[in-house]
Amino acid sequence: MRAPPLFVAAAAACVTAGAAQAHHSFAVYFDPSKDVSITGKVTEFRFTNPHGTIVLEVTDAQGRTREWRAETNAPVVLQRRGWTRASVRPGDVLTIDGWASRDGKPYIRLRRAVHQDGRLVGTAPFGEADQS
Amino acid sequence: MRSIAVVAAAALVWALPAAAQPNLEGFWNLDFEQGQAPADMLAKLPSDTVVIEDTGVVEFPEGEYGGLKLKPDALAKAQAWKPDDEMALSRVCLPPSIVYAIQGPFPFEVHQTPELIVFKYEYFDQVRLIHMDGRDHPPAEAPYSKMGHSVGRWEGDDLIVETTHIAPSTITNNGLDHSDKIRMVERYRLSPDGNGLLAIQWFEDPEVLDNTGARFIQWTKQPGQYVYPYECDPAFALEYQAAGEGGE
Repeated sequence: MRAPPLFVAAAAACVTAGAAQAHHSFAVYFDPSKDVSITGKVTEFRFTNPHGTIVLEVTDAQGRTREWRAETNAPVVLQRRGWTRASVRPGDVLTIDGWASRDGKPYIRLRRAVHQDGRLVGTAPFGEADQS
Repeated sequence: MRSIAVVAAAALVWALPAAAQPNLEGFWNLDFEQGQAPADMLAKLPSDTVVIEDTGVVEFPEGEYGGLKLKPDALAKAQAWKPDDEMALSRVCLPPSIVYAIQGPFPFEVHQTPELIVFKYEYFDQVRLIHMDGRDHPPAEAPYSKMGHSVGRWEGDDLIVETTHIAPSTITNNGLDHSDKIRMVERYRLSPDGNGLLAIQWFEDPEVLDNTGARFIQWTKQPGQYVYPYECDPAFALEYQAAGEGGE
């Protein structure tokens, strides 16, 4: 018997209005018109500039697991939004919303991250008028 | 007694101009809703200048340069640029020059004396000295750096800063690079209430551009804050490279 998937990935592409966010060539690397949402178990959290990285194991509806990476704003910016090195730990289950990588990699730019119990990571998500 | 009076008067005259200058000290954070540049600031720009609109959160995609006219060699180089080239251990922590960094969405601190103004940027831990003592730029063979060599002067209540000796780097973060011949002139002005800082950044690079460029940039003072250490970690590049290599 196959175990039911613990983590369901819902990677949906939809059009958002002007979700431009920038710093290190956001416009070059990410598609502001493609929203992506993933849910998975954290295996690594790197909290260093120029960008933090959250690595997750994401299991889709068919039970296939794939490794995804979510690039965050610069930690100097995250600190002003209430993030710390301890905000995310390996083993945490997160749902991350963000923008899709233009090259099709399992790599997204994080808009917001939410714990399994509904707690937002940090004090506010990142939106159109945000710094990197 | 007379000599004492003369010395005292001279000291007073010396002190007056410095005391009368605007005080730019403080922590300044970029305004993410950039307003309109004052007309008189724009009017001082040379006629061949294009004001590029990529300040702060806005960035140009590949192939867009905001109206800057690239010389053929610069255009060919920009068109050959590939984003993945930047995501390498050897490149991801190279700081951009002040030409691009000045408009980025990171704060900076200003520390001001009559002879020297220091801009301490959060972005890549860069520090910039603006010499206000009347000195000129060093000779052409002097070192070039990402912050360049800056001299400043007051023009009424505006601070004018001219920068040369800037090492080659990006202009728009999408493949358009400037040469070490770039010259940048900034005009800074406090808002009437003193809580805003406005700037026009102008630059010319005869080796790369057929016209000249400018940006309008606004910051807001946020008392009690400080810039954080940036301490760039190049291992970030490995994360990008590893994406897609994980098992499925």
